[in-house]
Amino acid sequence: MPPKAAKGEYIETDTGNKISRRSQIHGTQHIILGGKTVIQAEAVIRGDLYRLPSTASTDPSNPPQPSNAPSVAITVGRYSYISKSAVLRPPSRLHRGVHSFYPLKIGDHVFVGESAVIEAASLGNHVHVGAGATVGSMAIIKDFAVVLDGAVVPPGMVVPSWCVVGGRPARIVGEVGEGYGVEGAEGGMARERYRVVGRP
Amino acid sequence: MSRPFPYTYISCPCADTPVPDPARKRRSRESPQKPTPERNTETSEDQGETKQPNEKGQDEDEDEEQTFDPRSPRSNFSLYPPEQLLYCEDCHQIKCPRCITEEIVSWYCPNCLFETPSSMVRSDGGRCGRNCFNCPACTAPLAVSTIENVTGNSSGQGPWVLSCSYCLWTTLDIGIKFDKPTNIRSQLQKMTDSTTAPTFDARSRQGSRAFGDLKSPLSNFASIDEQSNAGERDAEQSSSKEDATPTPHLGAEARFAALKNFYRTQISETSNSPNDPLSSEFGFSSPGALNRLMSLYASSSRLSGLYGGNKKPKSKPPVMREALTASEGLRIASEDTDTALIERIPSSDCGWDGVASITQRTEQSPDVRFVDELLPLPVLLRTKRAKRCKSCKHILVKPETKPQSTRFRIRLIALSYIPLPTLRPLAQPSASSISGLGPTPDLNALSPLRPYHVLLTLKNHMFDPVRITLATPSVTPGSVATKVTVLCPQFEIGANSDVWDEALQNATAPLSDRITGMRGGEKVPEAGKVWEKGRNWTTVVLEVVPGTLPGTQAEDGRASDIDIAASLQKDEDVLEIPVFVHMEWDAEAQLEQQNVGKASKPDDLVARELAYWMVLGVGRIQASL
Repeated sequence: MPPKAAKGEYIETDTGNKISRRSQIHGTQHIILGGKTVIQAEAVIRGDLYRLPSTASTDPSNPPQPSNAPSVAITVGRYSYISKSAVLRPPSRLHRGVHSFYPLKIGDHVFVGESAVIEAASLGNHVHVGAGATVGSMAIIKDFAVVLDGAVVPPGMVVPSWCVVGGRPARIVGEVGEGYGVEGAEGGMARERYRVVGRP
Repeated sequence: MSRPFPYTYISCPCADTPVPDPARKRRSRESPQKPTPERNTETSEDQGETKQPNEKGQDEDEDEEQTFDPRSPRSNFSLYPPEQLLYCEDCHQIKCPRCITEEIVSWYCPNCLFETPSSMVRSDGGRCGRNCFNCPACTAPLAVSTIENVTGNSSGQGPWVLSCSYCLWTTLDIGIKFDKPTNIRSQLQKMTDSTTAPTFDARSRQGSRAFGDLKSPLSNFASIDEQSNAGERDAEQSSSKEDATPTPHLGAEARFAALKNFYRTQISETSNSPNDPLSSEFGFSSPGALNRLMSLYASSSRLSGLYGGNKKPKSKPPVMREALTASEGLRIASEDTDTALIERIPSSDCGWDGVASITQRTEQSPDVRFVDELLPLPVLLRTKRAKRCKSCKHILVKPETKPQSTRFRIRLIALSYIPLPTLRPLAQPSASSISGLGPTPDLNALSPLRPYHVLLTLKNHMFDPVRITLATPSVTPGSVATKVTVLCPQFEIGANSDVWDEALQNATAPLSDRITGMRGGEKVPEAGKVWEKGRNWTTVVLEVVPGTLPGTQAEDGRASDIDIAASLQKDEDVLEIPVFVHMEWDAEAQLEQQNVGKASKPDDLVARELAYWMVLGVGRIQASL
């Protein structure tokens, strides 16, 4: 249950995003929120780490990259929920001697637990990331996957759909049931979660 | 179970059904007859609406005898989160993972998400045959990377290694580099099979045939066998890479293949009949193997002499010999192997860090003792599985074959049939003298002897309205006696309607919620009244008075936690309420079941009912008052 926030804690945008005034969002022009997304206090979203065409802020000696790369750093789908103190930062990779950032895509109905660190390349729909979990750079979490609390998903790992991963490093420890993600049941609480946020 | 409070579990009735023969349940090819037909909740058509079927009566009997105890050891096996349960439309029963059988639909690699055709699964050893490897040190996935591209000039060139980005292990630690970044598994296979020393390079490609190196001086003596079987063996070798954990020393895979071949030829040579099934491809695990053993015993035992004494005894069965030479797969442990191991372990270049841990060794060949002998592990394949009802064999879940797809062709989950229970605590009413209109109570520390109100919402996913009767023991079982009262045990839940209605409903929901929320302050739970009602859901109030933990001093409240912890079983202080749910609804009669004789009227309804136990995990009771 999210804590009852003080009145006016959340800014509600036209598309229904509820964003805490105490969150830290950098590079807002590089972040796309799908609507009805909740961002709680002290969450850090690093939109400023987008893929640069040629500037040298991330890497002083990089050769010019093809500029057709979109400058969107983070995409978040609908009804996703970024808990308190969670960190979203785009993944980065050293490719041919160049350190560059890649976009971070988060699907719909995603839950990111408290003080989790997400550096994945993509989180699918209905993904649940537990509190204190770390998702390493360029990891891919497919739809309906669950990352248990405190798990460390190593960089580059792929978590298939319906799988539960846990541990350090994360391994597949089980599968969720077929009913996972049904509205209102486990994995399908996103609308309810959204609804109660910011209510006095 | 480690779910945060509040949680709800549903008990699959299969745990209560007496199983006369425990072995029967294990057999997958069970007779399609239901073990307990009286559990069938369907009201047969000759019975009126008011007539109670057997099942109800039986459950009432059970009720009188004993209520469901969430703490009994048996409950562990029947309680499941609602989303894990399935529902069989033919048995009209909840199906838990224990009452289904599974069939593999497809194999796929969890790392590259490619499907492996079932014909390849066995030859690949159930592992990914591409470039997917797990780190032998920490099990994280390994990435293929070059080692000479740091400067950027020779990109795409140069030797490749597998590296773990979690523990920074690379194949350089065991002295392996790869020529090309593709087909790493076969490259690795060649290296580990063909080399005898742990230091090798992929560029030395010679000797990829394992048997060349396997030949020891002794193998000259077995040259006849060798020649006769060489061709077959080579074919075998190339086609089957059975075991994916070779050692760098001797080529465990090659040795395994040699041994397998050796025994196959032995069997074919020693078999009595030419059409012995053992000599065929199916070999060792076929039922013929048992036949052969039985006939061995039968022909040689004295019993056969007694009962079949007049017959001429069969010729003595030829005896199989064991492998004698290295080319047959024999490996003789050298005398100083163990001493060398022992000397190496405490030496300064090995030490604790140099010895492979038990968990690392379980995945490797048994000879591996040190971390520099660990080989990358090809990723184990996973499966997508279809699920069938164990008793009636109807398919309940059938996922799409493609690994990437999350859709199902058939998915009969229990949540589409039984109401979805959700639990939430009600904010302390102002009437409560202890605190005013406080926040919602902390479920991890419920104070004993203080009334709490818990809202239980049941949401109907069926397209028919459902009548619900809830029952609960007035005092929870276990050593902590908590009083529970369902304030409104009988109520109705509206029918689910289609998705668009729901969407529209959701748009207006916050408003209505807010109104009820405002009223929530004044609203007092009343006996016999539904707390709140929506289109397809109904909320009722449970009044819960947590009992005192044994050892709690009601007066001074100074019992130390240690005493209580000692006197309590683990999780004895968790407040779990068993609730019996009985649901009744009028379903449209299904075509295959009835009305073949009758003229099928469109409004032909069949009364159905379903009953089950569920467990509400409310919270944890505090020790002190």
